[in-house]
Amino acid sequence: MLSYLAKRLVQLAAVVFVISVLAFLLVHLLPGDPSVTILGPFDTPTARAEILRQLGLDKPLPQQYLTWAGNVLHGNLGRSFLTKQSVAHAIAEAFPIDLELVIVSQVIAFALALPLALVASRRPNRAFDRLAGTATFGLLSIPAFILAVILALVLAVEIHAFPATGFTSLTTSPVQNLRSIVLPSLALTAGSIAVYFRLLRSDLISTLQEDYITMARSKGLSDRYILLRHALRPSSFSLLASAGINIGSLLTGAFVVEYLFQLPGIGYQIVESISARDYLMVQGMALVVAVAYVVVNFAVDFLIVLLDPRIRRA
Amino acid sequence: MDGSATPVASPGDPVDSPGDRRPFAAASPAMSSAELPGAGRLGRRSFLAGAGAASLAGLGGSLLLGGCSTGTTARTSQPLPSSAGLPPKHGGSLHVGTTSEIDSFSPFSGHWDNTGLTYANTIYDTLTAIAADGSAKPYLAQSVTPNPEHTLWTITLRPGVLFHDGTPLDASVLVKNIEAFLGSPLTGPALSPIAGARVVGPLAVEVSCKEPLVAFPYYLSTQVGVVVAPSMIDPPAGAAPRPVGTGPFVYESWVPNAHFSATRNPRYWRKGLPYLDRVTYLPIVDDTARLDSLLSGSIGLMVSTNPDVLLKLRSSRSYRLVDTLQRSVGEPDMDFIMLNTVVPPTNDITVRRALARALDVRALIKLFDAGLTQPSTGLFPPGSPYYAPTGYPTYDLAAAKALVREAEARHGGRISLELATIPSSREVLATQAIQSMWQAAGVDVTLAQVDQATLITNALEGHFQAYTWEQFSAPDPDLNYVWWSTTTLAPVGSIALNFARNDDPLIQAALQRGRENADPSVRVAAYRTVNERLAADLPYLWLSRTIWSAAASADVAGFDGGRLPGGEAAESFAGGVLSPVQVWLS
Repeated sequence: MLSYLAKRLVQLAAVVFVISVLAFLLVHLLPGDPSVTILGPFDTPTARAEILRQLGLDKPLPQQYLTWAGNVLHGNLGRSFLTKQSVAHAIAEAFPIDLELVIVSQVIAFALALPLALVASRRPNRAFDRLAGTATFGLLSIPAFILAVILALVLAVEIHAFPATGFTSLTTSPVQNLRSIVLPSLALTAGSIAVYFRLLRSDLISTLQEDYITMARSKGLSDRYILLRHALRPSSFSLLASAGINIGSLLTGAFVVEYLFQLPGIGYQIVESISARDYLMVQGMALVVAVAYVVVNFAVDFLIVLLDPRIRRA
Repeated sequence: MDGSATPVASPGDPVDSPGDRRPFAAASPAMSSAELPGAGRLGRRSFLAGAGAASLAGLGGSLLLGGCSTGTTARTSQPLPSSAGLPPKHGGSLHVGTTSEIDSFSPFSGHWDNTGLTYANTIYDTLTAIAADGSAKPYLAQSVTPNPEHTLWTITLRPGVLFHDGTPLDASVLVKNIEAFLGSPLTGPALSPIAGARVVGPLAVEVSCKEPLVAFPYYLSTQVGVVVAPSMIDPPAGAAPRPVGTGPFVYESWVPNAHFSATRNPRYWRKGLPYLDRVTYLPIVDDTARLDSLLSGSIGLMVSTNPDVLLKLRSSRSYRLVDTLQRSVGEPDMDFIMLNTVVPPTNDITVRRALARALDVRALIKLFDAGLTQPSTGLFPPGSPYYAPTGYPTYDLAAAKALVREAEARHGGRISLELATIPSSREVLATQAIQSMWQAAGVDVTLAQVDQATLITNALEGHFQAYTWEQFSAPDPDLNYVWWSTTTLAPVGSIALNFARNDDPLIQAALQRGRENADPSVRVAAYRTVNERLAADLPYLWLSRTIWSAAASADVAGFDGGRLPGGEAAESFAGGVLSPVQVWLS
């Protein structure tokens, strides 16, 4: 098991490296450079050259990358070209928002998808299964941005139950924090519910046809006990793998929802920084997202190894 | 606007007491007027009245000139009865939804749009401010006095003013500020007529100009009129200086794209002000989300350029609403199509005339501006002293077709061009409408979307044919000198502040007359000439003025006007610039 995990760790470290290089190269491929946004209309060749020199952007790309990577390894992600704020500080402000958004949305998704799948898989193609399947299919069909707008209009503008925009940090007010995160979490969770339900349901149905389940039934164990103790664990590998990928993509993929609810998370900040050609900010945030993605997926791999003795023995 | 030609001196500093029973007890005039050329929103955040999506570009908003027109008080749509008779109250906290986020609190490097100026009104003060009659009045300065030639201006500061960190405001600090503005690559070019500044007394500074500059007091009401503490001028290398000013609120925290908070300055030099204990700004770039935030109670005050906001709230009695529809003094923000006058086919005046004739602006306004504005025929709206008929070609499809045929004969083939805009759904729709109008006249039009940063670069270097654009808001026309001057021309590929590259010596001569002459009638004639020449040269196809609106919940007052320290009525909400100094919660 250790060698498997070590191998995965090396692979994931390579992913982080590749993403850091790609992020670095991609931002430099964008037309224009930070001098455009820094100087605005008074962009003269002399002023532009001076700005690029001050920012170290007049050096060859490999040298710029090595300088940046060296600084990162020393814990220095640099400062925004524009706001002069520390990139690390900006990440520290933005990342908890994404983290909370992901956690709350995934808790809701699992809390709804798991029981639905367990009940539906007991009697496949019966009324409840079809109803749940149709409902989750409907959820899957609604884009998050449409759901976000509907939720905001109904629950914020009309009922005033939640704020339409903005984020209150947990330390400022736990209650307000929860209120500010509910609507975006609901908007994000719809797709996850559908995917998790479908994966778990089909795996459960498949598992429930295994010989050892028949054996368990013949021993007189209750359906509930069989489902929870014998079927759920071996049926959850696809679900966990999917959750790992989903959580990773939500860390930045929530941009549209962040935009609609004005949550200054990582995705939102990356898009803003790309527009402003704020290279260090984009690179730093892309790196953090890559690391988070890797950590989440490594944790999921580890969990699967723990749950699946076949991998442990391999 | 003749205030620029005369000394501006404050008769004193009457107390703006809570007993001032004005209905909306006055937004601070400080910086409620246009910022410097280039120092502001060069971006064309809105086209035919704005689209929040464009602000996704974040800094993007910093392309076009700062959105502030000066002039008469704003029209109050009065969805609510006036709050006249209610004395302002102290205390409370207000959340304000802004249209964009800023990049810096430093006036030397920040590309301040209306949000930047609003933030500045919170932390800082400007040396002068614009009164309701459009004249520049002393604000942080006690007086601003020229020599007879207007080449030497003496600024005398108010005594006893302290920065938030306790540093006294004196002449040496002001000189440091002016030198920082002159040395900044962002603000320096706009202050090119200024030669330097020197201390002539404990509170007096003499500013010398390379040429007569009668509009100097107006410059001091903009971004370059902001005075910051010495600690902001020489910050530690690479670090963001903590904003320290003399303004009504003290900087508390700023998380870019999240919020900016400030608390009441207990030592503010305008006694009794501000009323609020705390103000928090939330950048909500999407117009719908901002409106939803107001309707849901997440924010108490917001600004917008989206006519839908006006339409939705003007009939409601639960909200207060002001707009800039009726402003007539100074230059409003203009929406227009900018044509490159040195690249084919738009280098041909016949083509430009055809494009102007083919543009049904009234239909565009109906489609995208809810019919709220009128087609523009020049820089100045009716009611402005500079307004006069310009002879600008109006919509005439038959004439447009004839002009296209004439151009085709000369060019030996069909006329085709590219019209580009920023990636905003609203602007894209508008360009599609324009495309169909021009195609109806026989011009082949392809559309393109260009991100804000690239748009700026292309405009500077002349790599465009037709761009949708928003610009020219200013308290005095001289502040737009660099955009129309022949001294800022350059060939394609080189950087030119005269983006359209319109080379008209008559405009240059008129601009120079307006800059140097203190006689109001001469200035009026000069800028009318500029306006007429632009209508003849057609580097800009005018659409309409940008409508700014500010909407607030019923308990928020004092955001649309007020009084200056000298007792004059201040210019009210303009150009999307708010000031929290006299805002109060009922």
